[in-house]
Amino acid sequence: MNRRNFLKWGWGSAGLVALVSAMGVSMAAVLRFLMPSVFYEPPQAFKIGTPGDFPFGPPTFLVDEKVFVFHDREKGFSVASAVCTHLGCTVNHFSSDQKFHCPCHGSVFAADGTVQHGPAPRALDWFEVTEARDGQLRVDKNKTVPPTYRLMV
Amino acid sequence: MERRLQQIFFALSFLSLALIVVAAWQANTPSWKTYQHRFYELEAQGEPNAITKAAMLATPPEIHQQMLTGLQRVDRCTTCHLGVEDPTMKDAPEPFRYHAGLGPHVPARFGCTICHGGQGLATDKASAHGSVDFWPNPLLSKEYIRASCGRCHKEGEVPGVPELTEGRHLFETQGCRGCHKLNGVGGSIGPDLTAEGANHRSPDWLERHFLAPNVVSTGSAMPNFHFSKDQARALTYYMLSLTSEDMGSYYSSVRLIPGPEYGRQLFVEKNCITCHNIGGVGAKTGPDLQGITRQHSPEWLDEQLVNPELVYPGSSMPAYDLESNERKALLAFLSSATPSDAEAIVSQRPTKLAPEDIAIEAGKQDFSRFGCVGCHGTELQGGVANPNAQGGEVPSLLHLSDDYTKDEVIAIIQNGRTPPLDNAKGPMPPLYMPAWKKVLSQEDINRVADYLWSKQQKKKEEAW
Amino acid sequence: MNLIREIYQSIVRRDPLSTDKGKSELVFLNVWLHIHPAKVKREHMKFTHTFYLGFITFFLFVILVTTGIALMCYYRPYPPAAYQDMKDLQFVVFMGPFLRAMHRWSAHAMVVCVFLHMCRVFYTGSYKKPRQFNWVVGVVLLLLTLGLSFTGYLLPWDQLAYWAITVGTNIGSYAPLVGGQLRELLLGGHTVGEAALLRFYVLHVAVLPVAVLLLTAVHLWRVRKDGGLSRPLWKLQTVKKEQLVTIGAPQETAPLLVQPAVATKTYGLMEVVTGKPIFETIAPEEEEDAVFSFPYAFVREALALMATVTAIMTISILFHAPLEELANPAKTPNPAKAPWYFLGLQELVSHSALLGGVVAPALMVLALLAIPYIDRNPSRQLTTRKWALGLFTAFVVVNLVLIVVGTFFRGPGWALVPPWVHVVGGAE
Repeated sequence: MNRRNFLKWGWGSAGLVALVSAMGVSMAAVLRFLMPSVFYEPPQAFKIGTPGDFPFGPPTFLVDEKVFVFHDREKGFSVASAVCTHLGCTVNHFSSDQKFHCPCHGSVFAADGTVQHGPAPRALDWFEVTEARDGQLRVDKNKTVPPTYRLMV
Repeated sequence: MERRLQQIFFALSFLSLALIVVAAWQANTPSWKTYQHRFYELEAQGEPNAITKAAMLATPPEIHQQMLTGLQRVDRCTTCHLGVEDPTMKDAPEPFRYHAGLGPHVPARFGCTICHGGQGLATDKASAHGSVDFWPNPLLSKEYIRASCGRCHKEGEVPGVPELTEGRHLFETQGCRGCHKLNGVGGSIGPDLTAEGANHRSPDWLERHFLAPNVVSTGSAMPNFHFSKDQARALTYYMLSLTSEDMGSYYSSVRLIPGPEYGRQLFVEKNCITCHNIGGVGAKTGPDLQGITRQHSPEWLDEQLVNPELVYPGSSMPAYDLESNERKALLAFLSSATPSDAEAIVSQRPTKLAPEDIAIEAGKQDFSRFGCVGCHGTELQGGVANPNAQGGEVPSLLHLSDDYTKDEVIAIIQNGRTPPLDNAKGPMPPLYMPAWKKVLSQEDINRVADYLWSKQQKKKEEAW
Repeated sequence: MNLIREIYQSIVRRDPLSTDKGKSELVFLNVWLHIHPAKVKREHMKFTHTFYLGFITFFLFVILVTTGIALMCYYRPYPPAAYQDMKDLQFVVFMGPFLRAMHRWSAHAMVVCVFLHMCRVFYTGSYKKPRQFNWVVGVVLLLLTLGLSFTGYLLPWDQLAYWAITVGTNIGSYAPLVGGQLRELLLGGHTVGEAALLRFYVLHVAVLPVAVLLLTAVHLWRVRKDGGLSRPLWKLQTVKKEQLVTIGAPQETAPLLVQPAVATKTYGLMEVVTGKPIFETIAPEEEEDAVFSFPYAFVREALALMATVTAIMTISILFHAPLEELANPAKTPNPAKAPWYFLGLQELVSHSALLGGVVAPALMVLALLAIPYIDRNPSRQLTTRKWALGLFTAFVVVNLVLIVVGTFFRGPGWALVPPWVHVVGGAE
């Protein structure tokens, strides 16, 4: 029999569809298999402590999480990334000029994170900070917010 | 034939499609997703804000894990136990209920399995609770869960767990070390207990064993100490806490070191004032300890407490088996100890000890601490059963001087002795006198001998 | 449109498949397919001749390679990370349990099928002249398959793995003179530890698969050069000697049948092969028995592939691969058993270390290798091969019995315990 008769048969075409679908589903399954379900990395969302742990004025720098936690007396909390947008060095914050300075290539970021000087291409990210049910502050690095975002507690 | 073959081929195609779909569907619907969905519904119930509610219900399911490099484990319990840190969930049904009283022991730093047991890597209920084959560490039941505190809190009073302190105390005073090694010190008649908590014995077994050793562990030579149920439980707690958890720097940091109050307690407990003085108040045998932490480095002082003879060969200071945090606590106390502290301690002592009594007192402490009381009794009365030994039991030590000189006794302590057999053809008696010369220093052995000699009852005198 | 056709024809350069020439070119112009002959003999391709065991073994190998590579993305070959990764595959990875099961059951199936394939080749006498050396290559492939299974067995790093390999390598160490050294070489040390796991991993994912691929190429090549699949046993009687034509024989046995060319038939030059011609004996009717590989052979191969894959998938959905506790060098399970295909060996060893562990298996392997050279009977007819068949069957039965005894009838302390008696484990 030739191909035309065969396919006319319904059997053939349904079977072919089944085969192709099976291969397609397998391909999709392999791709999903290769995508990790857990990450052996520090978590992107984490708790940093209670509001009382953070003094007003100069921000608290969290070393492992690489963020600055600002606690403004009137406006509340904001959390900035401490990772320079140029090549990833950790920036420092100086109270004298309220700016972030990167020691690697001299980028300077203003108090709201915008680039003032140096090779950095973008402003520093600000991360969402919310109050969790147990009263702790929760930072989520997966969610960036505008520099004007504040959490009042 | 060809047609039939092609029919079979396409039938198999359908089958393979069905199979891959089934396999993928199974993989995509694990039980934890259902739990998470239910939790978000529960959370959304109490949420007035419609937008937040919608966001909650739309939360994508994912596995939550805590990577605890300091504890060398990974825990995924919070994948289902989502309400553990949420006080509003205190009346929620399990597995969503709030865990009250965590304090600093948050899952992000401690995980869950370090206290509760179970299989942290698992993501289905039965496997995670460890009640499956080939996972020897199931969840600890409510009665014994507090024993886990002792895995990290190895010294001092642990708040809320008096059983641990009691268990430790019983271990030291009932002579367990005479047969069992702990942290390298002790006898070899019974098994080494240094990591008993990691042996995955059920708490139930341990408790029954303490109440009736020979019944639970058939053929065991361990005597029945007639512990009460509470004592057996306390000892069980202590056993369960004896794991060698390698704790990263976070855990063995300052937070775990008890303060100078505990150091003072140790100072009194170990009778340091028997030899030492603080600013002149106390005994003059050993040096003045006032301000000693400013005269020597912490490492030198620590070494002094571990191994006195290394620093001063010929020193009569005994080696106290102190854990590192105990030593730190003692030094914390000494850094601020004043002569008035010493006066308070001295006045609290029942009697003042003469120098010759110092050695005897030290010997008595050694006799208890190294477990001799376990076989020979707290009053040196002996009496523990030892089948096929002459006399059928461990002998009393109250009449040693009738049959041996002091040097002979010292030699026996040093080299050990198998008891003479009652029936030469019968089995070896299970209990024997171990050799202590590798464990105790010569000074310690001499002090024990001094203690024994101070307790001798003269038979001849009694006969009169 | 012309561009599309041009692109297509630059890739697919053969004639259309509706023509004979196209069907042939599909095979010999294609790098993946040209191990096949352009035409196969219909009778030789019958299921009841070979049961497609060779194909199936190879397809299982393909499944193992693909699932193996997938699993490699989630596996670290050093303790104790290895065990943690097994747990991750079990609990966290999408379709982790399924892929692991596919890999494990395919491995067991491949050991079984390679053994059955060997039996089939023996019973059909397909190892006889001129195919002797191909049998030898096949035996080496059998040993490599066992090696692959053995090295893979250690990788989960659980109690089953650890002690099976401890027992297995200890059996090997009984070999005289070199046994100890060999064991040390394999383990990278004196006991099964980190070094052993890494070496076994390297062997399992790189060295042995490449060796199998290379030797499989040789194996299939030689089948081609030997004239393809052997003639089925039921055809052996029907060939009448007088009619046989031996191509390239030193003297002619019968005149070649020559037919004049016909205008309606498409002739093509299939191959030009230089060198000495190979002795091949064909019957005239076999000329008509030849059919194109496409689609005749390929349909059957595809069917065998589908059947194998669906069977493995079904088993994998129904049965998960086992995982015991973390390997604990201080705690030996009682009894500690080698992987099932070595249990026969372990049973022998339990009677005598040297005889059972070294001499007997060495003799067995040597005997297997020597079969085509010991067997002086050129005939493949079953009726003339009673001794050979009897001996081989005895060999197979003895092996099976030993494996069955080792699996089901040995309990703690290697004591003989019938499987229906419930063995009470220790109190703790």
